[in-house]
Amino acid sequence: MEVEKNITNNRGVNISSFFLSLFIVIPLFALLLSVFKVDLNNFYYLWDNLLIDYSLNTIYLVLLTCFFSLIFGIFPAWFISTSKFKGRNLYDIILYLPLAIPTYIMAFTYSDILSYTGPIQSFARKHMPEISNILNQDYLQIEVLAIIMGLALYPYIYTACRISFSLVGSNYIDLSRNLGMSQMKTFFKIILPISRVAIFSGLFLVIMEVLNEYGAVKYFGVNTFTSGIFRSWYSMQDVDTASLLAVSLFVIVVFFFFLERYINSNYQFNYSANTNQESNFSLSYSRRLVVHLVCLIPIIFGFLIPILFIIDNVINEFARINFSKLIDLIFNTLSISLVSAIIIVLIAVLFQFFRKVSKSRIVMICSDMISLTYALPGAVVGLSLIILVTSFPNIINSNIFIGSFFLLIYAYSIRHMAVGISPLKSSFEKHPNSYDDTGINLGLTPFRLFKKIHLPINRSAILIAFLLCFIDIMKELPITLILRPFNFDTLAVQTYQFAIEEMIPKSAVYSLTIVMIGSILLIFLKKIVNKQINVS
Amino acid sequence: MKKYLLITFTLILSSCSQNENSNEINIYSQRHYNVDELQYANFEKKTGIKVNVVKANADELIQRMKNEGENSPADLFITVDVGKLWQASEMGLLQKFEDRDITKNISSELLDKNGYWIPVTYRSRIIVYSKERVSKDELSTYEDLANKKWKGRLLVRSSSNSYNQALMSSIVANLGSDLTTQWSDAVVSNFARDPKGSDRDQVKAIAAGQGDIAIVNSYYIGLLLSSEKEEELNAGKSIGVFFPNQGNNERGAHVNVSGIAIAKNSPNRNNAIELIKYLTTDEAQKTYVNNTYEYSVNPNIMPDEIVQAWGKFKKDPLDLNMLGIKREEAIRIFDKTGWK
Repeated sequence: MEVEKNITNNRGVNISSFFLSLFIVIPLFALLLSVFKVDLNNFYYLWDNLLIDYSLNTIYLVLLTCFFSLIFGIFPAWFISTSKFKGRNLYDIILYLPLAIPTYIMAFTYSDILSYTGPIQSFARKHMPEISNILNQDYLQIEVLAIIMGLALYPYIYTACRISFSLVGSNYIDLSRNLGMSQMKTFFKIILPISRVAIFSGLFLVIMEVLNEYGAVKYFGVNTFTSGIFRSWYSMQDVDTASLLAVSLFVIVVFFFFLERYINSNYQFNYSANTNQESNFSLSYSRRLVVHLVCLIPIIFGFLIPILFIIDNVINEFARINFSKLIDLIFNTLSISLVSAIIIVLIAVLFQFFRKVSKSRIVMICSDMISLTYALPGAVVGLSLIILVTSFPNIINSNIFIGSFFLLIYAYSIRHMAVGISPLKSSFEKHPNSYDDTGINLGLTPFRLFKKIHLPINRSAILIAFLLCFIDIMKELPITLILRPFNFDTLAVQTYQFAIEEMIPKSAVYSLTIVMIGSILLIFLKKIVNKQINVS
Repeated sequence: MKKYLLITFTLILSSCSQNENSNEINIYSQRHYNVDELQYANFEKKTGIKVNVVKANADELIQRMKNEGENSPADLFITVDVGKLWQASEMGLLQKFEDRDITKNISSELLDKNGYWIPVTYRSRIIVYSKERVSKDELSTYEDLANKKWKGRLLVRSSSNSYNQALMSSIVANLGSDLTTQWSDAVVSNFARDPKGSDRDQVKAIAAGQGDIAIVNSYYIGLLLSSEKEEELNAGKSIGVFFPNQGNNERGAHVNVSGIAIAKNSPNRNNAIELIKYLTTDEAQKTYVNNTYEYSVNPNIMPDEIVQAWGKFKKDPLDLNMLGIKREEAIRIFDKTGWK
């Protein structure tokens, strides 16, 4: 609204984006209300007894998970973007799909598969007793958890790399080839450095996912910084200390975000679209074997094994499935995800547009800040909103908000903004500023500039952002638990409730539904991505 | 533009919840079993009172109620850990409620001495052992788990689990802080591995030979023994169930109740009382035991056959509020002694 009139002098944009971002980060201020009341004794107690240990665990888990998700994500993306081989298209689809499996379901599923009564050990005992002792290990370890989380999260890296590697264009590849570089050397010396900004953006999502994870780390007995937040809240009944820890976590994430931004600020590349597809590397027989292996490992372990295990449980439980309840849950899940995803994408698009036309520092910082709330555990976001709407009992009747869809969707928007912003940002940044200048010179109002230029050229990214948000909200758990209206269940909630009561088979039909809906959307997403990067 | 704003505003308002219907009841519940839905459906059929439920973690619900204050729509608060009921009563979120007609059918040692909550079911935290490697005679009390003979053999889940916290609180209440710290120290040094996984995972770890005995909730053993997976059933059958502290001078096994309480600002108090009455009737108590592996608070109602097969046991008569009162001390002992 104001934007239309004042965009040329930027003030309207600055003010609007400031208030809009305030709307997103306002829960943090609510947490601060709580922080000021903190009893430091509890904090010192946690610091003396647990926090150092928890922080070290967190660093180790983050590093390890990053390592595995990079391995699972970068190499398949490289081969698929630059080589031709049989099965390439199919791999390209399935490599996205683990994103449809919530991390905690992946963790529960794997611990069941690997456990003493799971299929692998049972089979070994029956048919290969000599190796069953070797397999009979304790698999609930931080390293195993890191691999599982790597499998669940690598698609963030894969998607970022897939787009980046393809956009880098064959020019660089041709050039390196003319210089006599091998495919591997080209990859390490040229492509990886050029793509580091894209890889970092994917990696940042992975890191924030590891930081906010609670269900899986608790199950594996790994205490992270987030465990510390819940230790103070659930075990010590000290919400203020929990808020202090959450705010600290946010500050640390902000610090690293801007540090990364600073380090990488000299590494901005202008991509040109991949003009020539024919310069793909040809593969020898042994090379092809490696390529298949590299692609198949994340596919088999990240998707096929968990999905087959879930399907097997569904078949066993089939007679007891309550289909009318299932349909209810599907309806609830789809409608809440749809509405929330649309709202998130609207806000995210608006911010990227503001960034583009304003270039002011305030807008830049605001639009970055709103994606960092992703590092906060969902339950903390939920708590902060409850504190917020109840802090002013004389002005706001909290009864209207708590337990309303409005607050639930608001919380989702705060929490998942990063997922929407990530693809939009790279798309908006990719297009040269000359488009805007030309448009403004031609006398387009900002609104028309947006409608005529930015909307069409970023359409794929907008769709991608929408799909990613939709899937993420569909998997969402802690916010739904703490803020939901009466009698409102979603697929994720139902899955979790059976799973924590140690009834994994009963939870299977609900998790399968999440994975199936997610997979369909991801296949759709893959089509858009491939159209965008001009390969199919 | 104004028109859009108006529409958005109307949509936001209309999406907000309204609780005007008085023939209903709003529950904040930590219980989320299928049997609860069945109970509420039966209650609705009988009384015509509509049951609305929000299910979440007890501490989250407590925060929600606390912050909502006088505006809270909650009528009833239900948990699976009595410690959280005590916590809520301590924070002034509950109101007292006493009715002889209800309490006369309930074992007196399970009742709240302060009159804030009513128990609906209970479970015990017991010891299970490998039938192959441990003889029942070797087991005796919780205190004995500190014995060096269990070095590298004891399995238990993490201290963030509220059932473990309740057990530790009961030991603090019975032995005092110093003895409990010594006990916990010794128990931790007996661990077969770092605490992790669920209760059921501890049983699997016994079957896998990673340890010989485990502290678990009776309820989960019932679940395991009713599993349809042959391997899980075998794991369940390979262990024996032992109720600790059953000797003549000993206090009995630790129990924890799942209980219900009326919220301080309950807008539908009469309906809330109706539901409490219903959940403690013979009919509803039978529904609980027929669908879960919990014990009925009514001593005349027998638990599920799987649970009956473990035999009767003596319960620790400790005032159950102690499981909340001693919670903070218990947490600090966990942390001090390195029980992860």
